[in-house]
Amino acid sequence: MWFTKKPTPVVPAELSKADIASIEHSAAPERPALTCDIDESLSWCFSNHMDTDLENETIRCGGFAVQTQSLNWAPLQTTRVPIKLPALSVKTNGFLFPEAASWIPKTSAVSTPAIAGRIGGEDGTSSRVHKPPKRKFGKHARIKPPNDIVKLQDRLYYLLQPPLDLLVGSGQLNFPFEPFPYQLDGIAFLFPRYACVLADEMGLGKTMQAISTMRMLLCSGELRSILLVCPKPLVSNWLREFSVWAPEIPAMAIEGNAAKREFQWKATNAPVKIANYELLMRDKEIVLDSGLHFDLVVLDEAQRIKNSNNTTSEIVRAIPRTRSWALTGTPVENSPDDLVGIFDFLSPGYLTAGMPLPQMAKAAGDYILRRTKDMVLEDMPPKLFRDADVDLTPEQWARYEEAESDGIVHLEELEESLTIQHVFELVLRLKQICNFDPVTGASAKLQRLEADMEEVAASGHKAILFSQWTKTIDKMKPALARFNPLEYHGKIPHKKRELVIDQFKNDPDSQIILMSYGAGSVGLNLQFCRYVFLFDRWWNPAIEDQAINRAHRIGVAGSVTVTRMMAANTIEQRIAAVLEQKREMFDALFANPSDSNEPPSATAMQAAKNSPLSRTGGLTRDEIFGLFDLRAPSGKKVG
Amino acid sequence: MGSSKEAATAMTIGYFTTVQSDRTGWTGGLLVLNAAGRPLEFQCTLPIRPTRAHEILFGRTLSAHLISEVIGPTLLQKCRTPISLLCCAQREAINLQENLPNVTASPGQTSGATVVAILQSDDDDTASRADQRDLAGHCCLTLANATLLVPMERLDEAERVIAGLKEIVDAFEPFERIIEAIREAQSQMARAA
Repeated sequence: MWFTKKPTPVVPAELSKADIASIEHSAAPERPALTCDIDESLSWCFSNHMDTDLENETIRCGGFAVQTQSLNWAPLQTTRVPIKLPALSVKTNGFLFPEAASWIPKTSAVSTPAIAGRIGGEDGTSSRVHKPPKRKFGKHARIKPPNDIVKLQDRLYYLLQPPLDLLVGSGQLNFPFEPFPYQLDGIAFLFPRYACVLADEMGLGKTMQAISTMRMLLCSGELRSILLVCPKPLVSNWLREFSVWAPEIPAMAIEGNAAKREFQWKATNAPVKIANYELLMRDKEIVLDSGLHFDLVVLDEAQRIKNSNNTTSEIVRAIPRTRSWALTGTPVENSPDDLVGIFDFLSPGYLTAGMPLPQMAKAAGDYILRRTKDMVLEDMPPKLFRDADVDLTPEQWARYEEAESDGIVHLEELEESLTIQHVFELVLRLKQICNFDPVTGASAKLQRLEADMEEVAASGHKAILFSQWTKTIDKMKPALARFNPLEYHGKIPHKKRELVIDQFKNDPDSQIILMSYGAGSVGLNLQFCRYVFLFDRWWNPAIEDQAINRAHRIGVAGSVTVTRMMAANTIEQRIAAVLEQKREMFDALFANPSDSNEPPSATAMQAAKNSPLSRTGGLTRDEIFGLFDLRAPSGKKVG
Repeated sequence: MGSSKEAATAMTIGYFTTVQSDRTGWTGGLLVLNAAGRPLEFQCTLPIRPTRAHEILFGRTLSAHLISEVIGPTLLQKCRTPISLLCCAQREAINLQENLPNVTASPGQTSGATVVAILQSDDDDTASRADQRDLAGHCCLTLANATLLVPMERLDEAERVIAGLKEIVDAFEPFERIIEAIREAQSQMARAA
């Protein structure tokens, strides 16, 4: 619509003439008027002349023709599409489990907080309260079935058992002292296994873990008769530990004359029998041929059977039994084949001598549980090593040099008849001179020891001293008299040994105990001692570790200082260097077996130290010859 | 538990949960424990896979259908050990009480039948309003470290059962066992296949 401007005023159509007249009258006469015309040719409007058609309709509007079209549709049909919804069918699998007897009867609570792995709670020297760390949710001590249990029902039986920490929490599983979480893990490891090695580092409580598992298996009816074999000096220790950790389980030591022993072997009143390795040899016929059968045979210090060919090993392997456990802190002392010896008892033929190390480690993995203190006891006080390099006294030096030069000349003269025994004798002789001058009795080590002991005694602490020889111990006694030394070695009768340990624990005046590596290095709990002196070095670091861990074990009140005494520039230092080199070599070997080209990382080195195969040490024949730069009779120069 | 009479009157606690994964489908597990928490019976289903039609037609109610109408009743049907209290991990099991097999004939007499309880987990505070509406008519009871939602009409019975379950210290832990057991069963089946 277009508007054109005209001089006539615009008048709304609705206004009447009177209104207009009044507007015209009121408006100014000269104001121009606005009018509007519609240009029809450019506008849409329905005109009277429209062509209409029902189907095709044409609408003419002004200059445009708009055409619309109608189409006829058939009416909509409803189609039914059925969707079948089958009921979901469920197939099930069900397992019923035998309801075993309740775990453990209640034991009387111990009033004083005590420490796992320690005998008794009475000594007040280390009253530190050990609170086991709380477990995170979902990190329970579960019994997991070992790989050699195949049947689903059997696997589920173990998997569905309540976690041990909850059994302890609910009071169904009682211990005289609250166990550490890793100890519950150890029990959960042993519980379902028919063959295994508990190879925890010394001092972590292998004894407690083994006894508690035996107790649970006996109480749940899975075991009825157990034979525990240990070194003779440890029988009384095991009996004592049984009375602490499983007071309701009768344990019997097999001892006495032949008739008594035969009666004891056949007795049925004690489910746990404790025998020593030596006795097993004597009672071979009764054990093997009289129809005895044990549900479980446990070997303590199982490294004793590392050599499969010795008689002990043969007898132990032949004991009729269902389950076999081995306990040892040093599953491998000299070579990985030591482990083969232990496995010949557990599962004959499973490992073979000369097996590649990675393959052996993989195969043995499910059977071995090995933890070190570093792994499980984050708050364990440190073990501080102090190498005391002592300069020999002039008398000792003179004697030493003479003995060494004469000795080497003698060895060289032997030529083809030279044996390792000859070299060994010279080494021992030199080591003895390093301890004491045989003529004057002078000893630089003893002087150093006296000075150190003054300090130890002044601070109110106690010390353990280890030596290879009882003669050395005898010689140092007078000089140490003011510290009231006690002795514990092969010459002390077994019956008296217990008393010696008790006196050392309880007598404040006894400040040092003198031990031989043989008698004192295993099974004793002397964690109230803060100082350990190694007067001379053992051939094998594993044995030294055992000795040191008499003091550095669970319950230790503070750091343990280990003083390793060595005569400077002597055979002692040469042996120590060879042993250290060997340990490093083995650590590296086990650190990264898959890729020996790359240097092992720090973590891998740590892992290697924890490996049960890594704790090796002893000197080989060639290495012993090498100490004096000698040729082995084979002609090959070593060292 | 010595005599059969003792065993008959002894409290048992059932644990029921399902595990769902895109790869295997839905698997249900039912673990029956004695009052000391030791296993008496374990039932599990083979994995079931609802069809696309089920997914579309059941929509958001599919999980509730599977849990409280398909898997739950089947497992309870197969279970031979009478269950005093059935703890369910999932809220979708809320209707399981109505779908229990062998429910006593007369509606008034429910004693002796299983009491179904839902374990309230920590993140339930953020549950939707619809869920809260579903749980109307349920009361809270405490079992060890957990809060149980029990139908109001079964409250007395549930309290009586809980009083006999003093040795349970962690009411959530058995679900971990079920999940482990289902994993073990599935890995065996996978090896066998």
